[in-house]
Amino acid sequence: MLEFINFYIIPGIVIGAIYALGAIGITLIFGILRFGHFAHGDLATTGAYLALGVTTLIGLTPWLSLPVAMILTALLAYGIHRLFYRHLEARPKILTVMASLGIGMMLRSVVQVAWGVDPLAYGSGIARAQSFAGLMLRPREIATLALTLALVATLLAFLRYSKWGKAMRAMSDNPDLARLCGVDNDRVTRLTWFIVGALAAASGFCLGINTELTTMMGWSAMLSMFAAAVLGGVGRVEGAVVGGLVIGLAEELSVLLVPSPYKSATAFVILLAILLLRPQGIFKGKVL
Amino acid sequence: MNKTRASILTLALAGALATAPAWAQNVKVAYLVGITGPIAGMAPTMVQSMKFAAEQVNAQGGIGNGGKIDPQVYDSGCNPQLATDAATKAVNVNGVIGMVGPSCSGPVIAVANSVTVPAGVLLITSSGTSPKISTLDDKDLVFRTVASDDYQGRALARTLKARGTDKVAVTYLNNDYGLGLAEAFSDEFKKLGGTVTASRAHEDKKASYRSDLAELAKGGADTLVVFAYGNSSGLTIVRQALENGFFKNFVGADGMRDENMIKTLGAENLKTFLVSAPAGATGAGFEKFSKDFKAAGGDPNGTFAATSYDAAFLMALAIEKAGGDKAKLSQALREVATAPGEPILPGEWTKAKQLIAEGKDIDYKGAAGDHEFDANGDVPGDYILYKVSGNTFAEIERMK
Repeated sequence: MLEFINFYIIPGIVIGAIYALGAIGITLIFGILRFGHFAHGDLATTGAYLALGVTTLIGLTPWLSLPVAMILTALLAYGIHRLFYRHLEARPKILTVMASLGIGMMLRSVVQVAWGVDPLAYGSGIARAQSFAGLMLRPREIATLALTLALVATLLAFLRYSKWGKAMRAMSDNPDLARLCGVDNDRVTRLTWFIVGALAAASGFCLGINTELTTMMGWSAMLSMFAAAVLGGVGRVEGAVVGGLVIGLAEELSVLLVPSPYKSATAFVILLAILLLRPQGIFKGKVL
Repeated sequence: MNKTRASILTLALAGALATAPAWAQNVKVAYLVGITGPIAGMAPTMVQSMKFAAEQVNAQGGIGNGGKIDPQVYDSGCNPQLATDAATKAVNVNGVIGMVGPSCSGPVIAVANSVTVPAGVLLITSSGTSPKISTLDDKDLVFRTVASDDYQGRALARTLKARGTDKVAVTYLNNDYGLGLAEAFSDEFKKLGGTVTASRAHEDKKASYRSDLAELAKGGADTLVVFAYGNSSGLTIVRQALENGFFKNFVGADGMRDENMIKTLGAENLKTFLVSAPAGATGAGFEKFSKDFKAAGGDPNGTFAATSYDAAFLMALAIEKAGGDKAKLSQALREVATAPGEPILPGEWTKAKQLIAEGKDIDYKGAAGDHEFDANGDVPGDYILYKVSGNTFAEIERMK
């Protein structure tokens, strides 16, 4: 039983938390700006490499460099919006979706030019697990879970109680009505990109510190993140968290039933089933 | 319309006349290399060494009576579809009589099946290592100057067994490379009386392999054999196996011989990590090639440089021996490459040409080995077992 928890459940929860951080960003963009952001995985990769850059240039420890990377990636996300997506706002949304695919490739290529294509790590060596009454956990896994919890709690509180959070929710529900009520759509959009960029950096960083940094890591993880966002209900932050955990656990547990090359397909199957059976997702999000 | 058709016909006729088997003519050979795609980094050296072989041949008297080798470089993209398109153009439009390449195993199988074997064109690959190439129904038209992974998998199994390992678990990347190695290894290891407790494929680029590892560890083996790449899933698997204590010893093949592993995991954690890799070429043939190729501005130690040179040079020797006759090429290749015969070293074209003209048998001793082709057109490999020492890999023993 302990073995089952240690080698299937815990890795599933950790990877699920990482998916959740990515899925929140995807679901916010889906909900508020109304398009599927396919550059999200590569934005996460960029954030992770920026953290590595801060570590090597300034000499901060990886966890201290994370806030810096989150701010940088937030600015980057906003910059991408200003430079590219904003010009497509009035056009059909499919153009923005396609543009985001291109942005993703650009981000990935810039990372490959700057850091090369070999895998990198925040530090050398390995971290053996500590035992907590039989539960094997590594410090970085505890930190990953704590960070996810803290970010999600802050975000939920912000959306529920602050003025700008309410404006974001209003715009998510109905942008025209929100504007008539005096919500500044441009400022809400800007705020959304800041939040999304910061969260993307956090998810990329956690993915990197739990394994290695590779230039394709964000792209590879994005399918699972999209599945998590749709599963939880598009536009619902708490849904993205639950969705991420379900997808993470399903991928790890799938090994018990099907050969492991089908791990990624698990996320696909769940995504398809949800779209067919309950398109609004667990938490009643928008129907796509 | 009629006019165009007529002019095309005229052109085609002229072309047919120009390429009619007049023996003083130039001979077209295709060099099909993965210039774009995943092995783009190795391709420049491979093309350079192939062209270098053609230059040496042309500078020392060329083919037949005043003819030259006319090398035509095509891109295989390391992709079966692209390679087949390029090969079709080379064989059916441009009329090459021999092909060096393609570079990757998948394209070799595709090109051989759909283009070169039906057209009766000789194919020598310098970098396709999949065991599946051996079993192609190729009418003796597919050869390679690089050893099949089958040899490596079996050599690794024998070496491990001889070093006292009886029980292993195997995980392999779900592609031709991983599967080929895993099948050869498991087969040989079981034949020798060893136990393979589990053999599981895995998918590349996942963030966690802990559940895979847990399944693999159930059989109670303390040695994990990983056939993957050390800059990808192989790295993650070894890291997570070490961190969770699933296995004590780790063994890999050439894909795992990546110094990046040592850099990211730390040499102190990899004391029980062994890898096999093809031995670098040695001997008189390699020394001669090394000296000449360096003088021409090439890197003789580049990946597949020596095998690519040998493939191109052997192709030229076979063409000379066969008198430019496409139908006799594969028989001629066997005669010039295998013992007995007067030894020919890389670059000794004048000598070879003279001996062939006198009707004497020659035996090419190449840069990458002797190239004594077996019935499948394969050459045996020479492998070394390495361990981690400091920040690099150190040789332990030559594998048998």
